[in-house]
Amino acid sequence: MAVQGDVMEAAGPYDRAKALSAFKLGDITFYWITRASAISVLLILGGIIISLIIGAWPALKEYGFAFLTTQRWAPSADPPVLGALGPVYGTLITSFIAMLIAIPVGIGIAVFLTELCPQWARRPIGIAVELLAGIPSIIYGMWGFFVLGPFLANTFQPFMIRIFDGVPILGTIFAGPPSYLSLFNASLILAIMVLPFITAISVDVFKTVPAVLKEAAYGVGCTTWEVVKNVVIPYTRVGVIGGVMLALGRALGETMAVTFIIGNSFRIQGSIFAPGTTISAAIASEFAESDGLHQSGLILLGLLLFVLTFIVLACARLMLMRLETKAGK
Amino acid sequence: MNDLSVSVSAGTPAHAVLPDAAPKVTARGLNFYYGEHHALKDINLSLGTNRVTAFIGPSGCGKSTLLRIFNRMYDLYPGQKATGQLMLDQTNILDPKLDLNLLRARVGMVFQKPTPFPMTIYENIAFGIRLYERISKSEMDGRVEKALRGGALWNEVKDKLNASGLSLSGGQQQRLCIARTVAVRPEVILFDEPCSALDPISTAKVEELIQELSENYTIAIVTHNMQQAARVSDKTAFMYLGELVEFDDTNKIFTSPSDRRTQDYITGRFG
Repeated sequence: MAVQGDVMEAAGPYDRAKALSAFKLGDITFYWITRASAISVLLILGGIIISLIIGAWPALKEYGFAFLTTQRWAPSADPPVLGALGPVYGTLITSFIAMLIAIPVGIGIAVFLTELCPQWARRPIGIAVELLAGIPSIIYGMWGFFVLGPFLANTFQPFMIRIFDGVPILGTIFAGPPSYLSLFNASLILAIMVLPFITAISVDVFKTVPAVLKEAAYGVGCTTWEVVKNVVIPYTRVGVIGGVMLALGRALGETMAVTFIIGNSFRIQGSIFAPGTTISAAIASEFAESDGLHQSGLILLGLLLFVLTFIVLACARLMLMRLETKAGK
Repeated sequence: MNDLSVSVSAGTPAHAVLPDAAPKVTARGLNFYYGEHHALKDINLSLGTNRVTAFIGPSGCGKSTLLRIFNRMYDLYPGQKATGQLMLDQTNILDPKLDLNLLRARVGMVFQKPTPFPMTIYENIAFGIRLYERISKSEMDGRVEKALRGGALWNEVKDKLNASGLSLSGGQQQRLCIARTVAVRPEVILFDEPCSALDPISTAKVEELIQELSENYTIAIVTHNMQQAARVSDKTAFMYLGELVEFDDTNKIFTSPSDRRTQDYITGRFG
């Protein structure tokens, strides 16, 4: 815009038509640039879907719907048997546990930072949380492998296994033996990785709550907890859920860190302390050495992840819409 | 506002002059600081029980600041502090150990802009009540209705109690906020320019409501509208640059003020 301002000054106040036509040209260019950018997103998205479908076609033809319900993954058998149940289960369960941990902690940090934290501590904590988002996932993977995994296997896991031993359902979920490489360890790493998304977005939307609305709530005698629960969170619900969805999207697709510590086992086990695998971990660890039907099967897994993410996001949208109708907006 | 059937014009208070009432809130040597800035200087006054006290003065004179001391709202922000003495009956409002939630239940506040909570009309009222009392559903229904009647809103919303509080018009939202304040049965209600965001008809309704409420509540109202102060209040305080210039019967302030600055302000020579 500054350039066009200069054009106008250079042309002088008398040559108004020329100055305006320069604006017009700028407008048209601007319109087409933005339009092309928007359309390119659609093209890229469409291209990726199409190439995934083409790559996955042989496997799709071979296994069909059974791909989703088969647990066995034996690419070197003859003929190869490929089933996605293990990775799909692992993806969903690790993301679920990660969100179970990250949502309360992330929102808790955001509430602390916006409502409770003394002024001097706000910036250091806020920056620390943002830095968490800047750590490359491979580093999370190595840290999980060398530090967190052994730590959990020696302390937290035996503790939980002992406590819930013999309890129905929970006893199965927290069954032994402890393991460096497990669904739970991967979930915990994922939770740490997505935490900054939830916190950063929650902090931003919490700041949009009008001070006078909070004062009104304090004015009828609310405690800080009641203000947060009844005013701040309902007021910012849509934004917070948006942040959670972003985090969930990241958790579903996260590859590197998970591949390090999940153990790459295609067998589904009831215990979250057992090794497992996720879609992206399976692809990352096998893709380089695959060919033929095996490779096509891995691409089909990728397509499945795509669809899975899409369904999760669609559900989130639906939930938002229902919430909004319920709030009477 | 003259085209409305508001019964009295500026300068002549609406009601008969009432005898002085027992003080409900009393300030002695009250000072207030925003950080280094000395915003209120040595304020001495008292709000009479079940009387309406109006605070007038140019912007930045400290009227709203004073109001926000009465329920310790300033406590939410670091760096703000009050010194001196401020009593609500026998309770020292400035006592650092005071339970602020209980204080704010006793001293309700209505803000400049309507502030309905993001929930249904019913919940907006029930919410405040639930903070202090555990009562049955039917009892709660009764309390909500009573509060909405108290806010002169019942007839307009009785068929849509489950609609969002945000779906109401500005004037209705403000009356909802008044109803919400009344619902927790405070002793004092603070109004911080309650009509500045409202149209004339809504303003008339709110003013009428304030008059009715003054039968049971001690009321303090900050306003930029001098006619409004004249219409609704028993006593008026004129503030200027953080000082209480004059505090007297509304009648007297608007007919024969003793201070030159009050005279200038109410005749519109500055402010």
